[in-house]
Amino acid sequence: MIRIKKVDNRPLTLLERLYFTEVAAGMLVTLRHFFRNLFKPSNIVTVSYPEERLPLPGNARLRTRHRLKVRADGTPKCVACYMCQTACPAYCIDITAAEYNDGNPAEKYPRGFDIDLSRCVMCGMCVEACPEDAIAMDTGDIPGGALTREELMMDKRELLRNLPGEPSLLGASTRLHNEWDRKVKKK
Amino acid sequence: MTLPIPDFILLNKGPLVFLGVSFLKVCVVFGAVMGFAALLTLAERKVSALMQDRVGPNRASVFGFALGGLFHPAADGLKLIFKEDFVPRWGDKFLFTLAPLLALFPVLLLFAALPFGNYIDIAGLRINLQIADFNLGVLFILAVSSLAIYGAFLSGWASRNNFALLGSLRAAAQMISYEVALGLTLVGVLMVYGTASLQDIAQAQGELLFGWLPAWGIVYQPFAFLLFLAAAQAENKRTPFDVVEGESEIIGYFLEYSSMRFASFMFSEFIEIIVISMLAATLFFGGWQVPYLQASGFVFPWGTEIPLNHYLVVLLQVGSISVKTVFFSWLLLVIRWTVPRFRFDQVMTLCWKGLLPLALLNILVTGVLIWWLA
Ligand code: SF4
Ligand code: SF4
Repeated sequence: MIRIKKVDNRPLTLLERLYFTEVAAGMLVTLRHFFRNLFKPSNIVTVSYPEERLPLPGNARLRTRHRLKVRADGTPKCVACYMCQTACPAYCIDITAAEYNDGNPAEKYPRGFDIDLSRCVMCGMCVEACPEDAIAMDTGDIPGGALTREELMMDKRELLRNLPGEPSLLGASTRLHNEWDRKVKKK
Repeated sequence: MTLPIPDFILLNKGPLVFLGVSFLKVCVVFGAVMGFAALLTLAERKVSALMQDRVGPNRASVFGFALGGLFHPAADGLKLIFKEDFVPRWGDKFLFTLAPLLALFPVLLLFAALPFGNYIDIAGLRINLQIADFNLGVLFILAVSSLAIYGAFLSGWASRNNFALLGSLRAAAQMISYEVALGLTLVGVLMVYGTASLQDIAQAQGELLFGWLPAWGIVYQPFAFLLFLAAAQAENKRTPFDVVEGESEIIGYFLEYSSMRFASFMFSEFIEIIVISMLAATLFFGGWQVPYLQASGFVFPWGTEIPLNHYLVVLLQVGSISVKTVFFSWLLLVIRWTVPRFRFDQVMTLCWKGLLPLALLNILVTGVLIWWLA
């Protein structure tokens, strides 16, 4: 339903055109906020990211940091087909393929699987392209800033280690968050 | 053993003491003003944040202590010093360098005429707590503050940039217009106290009206105070009168400035806030006067007397003007963050068709009242 708000376009009264009363009325509003927030900071809506984080609204459609899924036996589901690397518009995936020589039906696996998050645009093309459903962007972890480039490089170990929900060790913002998290939990 | 004192010092003892004391006063006032202006840059952001339900800057920290953002002015200063000092290639380099100085120095000079206390007796030496006691203090302030227009205008001219030049045109038009209104709003106060010396005006406000009401300027000239506040805010080029700069979408006269040159424009604006606050306190709210505080201590209208030490009285007086200045600075910040910006034609209309006639009317009414009462 469309709600219509009628704007009252009457000409200003003399008192309003003198500004002073209107300015005073405006200042009453801002001052109320000022003093309320001064004495009761809990009203402030700012979330001090990255130390504090709001729970993300439903993970289903969110593209967050990548992870590589594993099979029941712990081997990566990825078959090193290079689909994701080809699809990636930011050229930030770097896969080194290797062969299983033990008769494993998967035949290939990634020896190295690096994603450079400093270039990644979080578009999710890699997830779409993967024929094996091996790569996912559902960790719920939004890569924030880092103090060095290396901190934003994810290698295979990092990608495989982080199961959804598990706090990652990646990046300065995450580190700050984890410190804060630990402090809050201690209390 | 007596120290051999050169004849020169003995002969010129008076002037030398005067020089030394004046130098000391300048240093103290300069330090206080610069410190307060630096804190104002933080207060501006904190006050606006609180008014908008935000927390404001709080990240700059030393050894892990942020102290609610207290280090931000220092961090900003450091950052600005290390920025590139850019001079436009086709600009006028001399004027380009001169303009920020011309913006900053006049406002600093204004503190010479503003009294921050009555006098202090140290070892038989009576020191006037004002850097220079002009008998034309108010006129001095109006004259010197109008010099700041050169800073605004030359910066746009010397940048060789059309947007900056248009910005300076707006600045010059607005500042010159409001200069007139500002001067006229003060005439009423001068008429009431019959002097243009700020120290004399402050002293006159120590008297009592009807035996109990402090004879502050606001009592005589409440209307002039409102006009003064509006004109001063416009003269200071801050919202709601910031079409000059319009940081969010229009382009101001210091467009081409970077680094500390830009900072000096910014800083002069904050120092101007202090000047306006101090001027408002001095002219309309008793200056350094504390109600019922005489040179010997408190004398209340119902007869109670609390004698106080001379130094305590001086401390109270200096504290009084400081508290008033801080309060008005805060009020100006609140106004700036409350009222939306005027359009340029509205700014001009308000000045020439609003403030100016009202100020003239105020003078007329004041004159008639003074004549009638006398
Ligand atoms: S999300 Fe997009 S940019 Fe990032 S790795 Fe996947 S395909 Fe590349
Ligand atoms: S598309 Fe899937 S299976 Fe192929 S390399 Fe990428 S993650 Fe591995």
